[in-house]
Amino acid sequence: FEAIESYAITLGLNKKYGSIDLEKLRCLAVVVDIEAAQDVANVVELLQWLTTIGVKQVGLFDSQGLLKKSKDLILETVPGSMLLEEIEKDVTPDGKRIALEFISSSDNKEAVMKAANILLQRYLKSSHPEDDKGEDFFTESHLNDALRVVGENVHVPDLLLVYGPIRSHLGFPAWRLRYTEIVHMGTLKYMRYGSLLKAIHKFTGVHQNYGT
Amino acid sequence: MLSILSSLLSLLFLFIISCFFITSHFWFPLSLPKILGFIKITSSRDDYDNEQRDEGTYVVGVEELQRELMPRHVAVIMDGNRRWAKRAGLLTSQGHEAGAKRLIEFSELCFKLGIHTVSAFAFSTENWGRHKIEVKCLMSLIQHYLKSKIQYFQREETRVSVIGNLTKIPESLLRTVQEIEEATRSYKKKHLILAIDYSGRLDILRACKSIVKKSEKGLIREEDVDEALIERELLTNCTEFPSPDLLIRTSGEQRISNFFLWQLAYTELFFSPVLWPDFDKDKLLEALVSYQRRERRFGCRV
Repeated sequence: FEAIESYAITLGLNKKYGSIDLEKLRCLAVVVDIEAAQDVANVVELLQWLTTIGVKQVGLFDSQGLLKKSKDLILETVPGSMLLEEIEKDVTPDGKRIALEFISSSDNKEAVMKAANILLQRYLKSSHPEDDKGEDFFTESHLNDALRVVGENVHVPDLLLVYGPIRSHLGFPAWRLRYTEIVHMGTLKYMRYGSLLKAIHKFTGVHQNYGT
Repeated sequence: MLSILSSLLSLLFLFIISCFFITSHFWFPLSLPKILGFIKITSSRDDYDNEQRDEGTYVVGVEELQRELMPRHVAVIMDGNRRWAKRAGLLTSQGHEAGAKRLIEFSELCFKLGIHTVSAFAFSTENWGRHKIEVKCLMSLIQHYLKSKIQYFQREETRVSVIGNLTKIPESLLRTVQEIEEATRSYKKKHLILAIDYSGRLDILRACKSIVKKSEKGLIREEDVDEALIERELLTNCTEFPSPDLLIRTSGEQRISNFFLWQLAYTELFFSPVLWPDFDKDKLLEALVSYQRRERRFGCRV
């Protein structure tokens, strides 16, 4: 039934998915398993679909950094794509661009560990009383700053799409996932445009209380 | 033979219905879910009749849960108490009460199935932003349940730990927490962890601060700071299995909401549309079957 519905959406038979308001989706992240990351063609097609839908920023994650190694090929093949850090520097507004970020496991726990070391060094070098609990050195914004120093992006994805057989985010940077909506999409090999559109559309209708 | 016939019938129905679907602008002559449900039940009934089951084995549909593939640690985000209460025409407090009762049943069943650790997100740091009366009611409810269940947990030989920033909770609740932790500390086979005033981000920060303090005392060197060290300083260091194998979140929300951020890297995520007080034995078994199905295929426990 899902396959049939997906094809119907792709063919434009369901008017509900005709236009999607992407205001809530500032940052989309995609997790792919290692097997899928080895075949860049599917990843490129996915990015082309996302460009068609109008998504402006995508973080691509695989645990071993295979997509990072294929970064140049992906940027050459996906029209209008640029690295996120390049787009942030570019003052020329261009609605047709898609900003890409390449992420791997080293950007998760290892990055937090490096950032923690920076905070530790700052704390030890500072003059502080003996009973100081470190409240002025260890807050969320301090760790955000330290993560930026080690070269990490701290933007929180609004939506995370997981492509793979396992329903897990496979080590995506944990610090960034606090309120991220997570959707398991199945394997990348059998991805469907209609399913992608449906997942994004469903996200735009989600309401969060943020615990209150 | 019967299962092949059922599969062929299923394909034929799908073909016919897809023709209706595309050509008739989404008009169904019959309810599609009901047709598919009937086909599934028919085939599963045939398969069930053809196999013998061991006594005491849990069977969900046609699948048998295997003890050796049980997750060691199941975490749960118990979402939906307020919606459940509203739907039932009850007070919010009654919704939370039903939720607390459900947690006891849930953990009891998990332990019976051989799961070692169950952790539950009882109250998040963000929950302090709720109405004062609701917060007060939640704190009272947690205290009441913990106090009244001390003997139960001792009888069941279940260790109970409470993790979180416990500096803001009422003094009376803190005393009850200390009492139950002390009374159950020696038990090793079953462990229930309640996260109260817990934040995944603050847990990571807390771990960093703890490392700093140890470094100042000369207990560790700067170069010793690695992932494993941070992990040992997290609040989940109270359990032998700090990383959940399976996370269940109820009520249809598909987020981690600042629960075990560091610990969930390779955890199987199971999002159920059912509201927490309705998440009964069948729903739990469904989640475990889904987990085991993936374990059998991909054997990915880390």
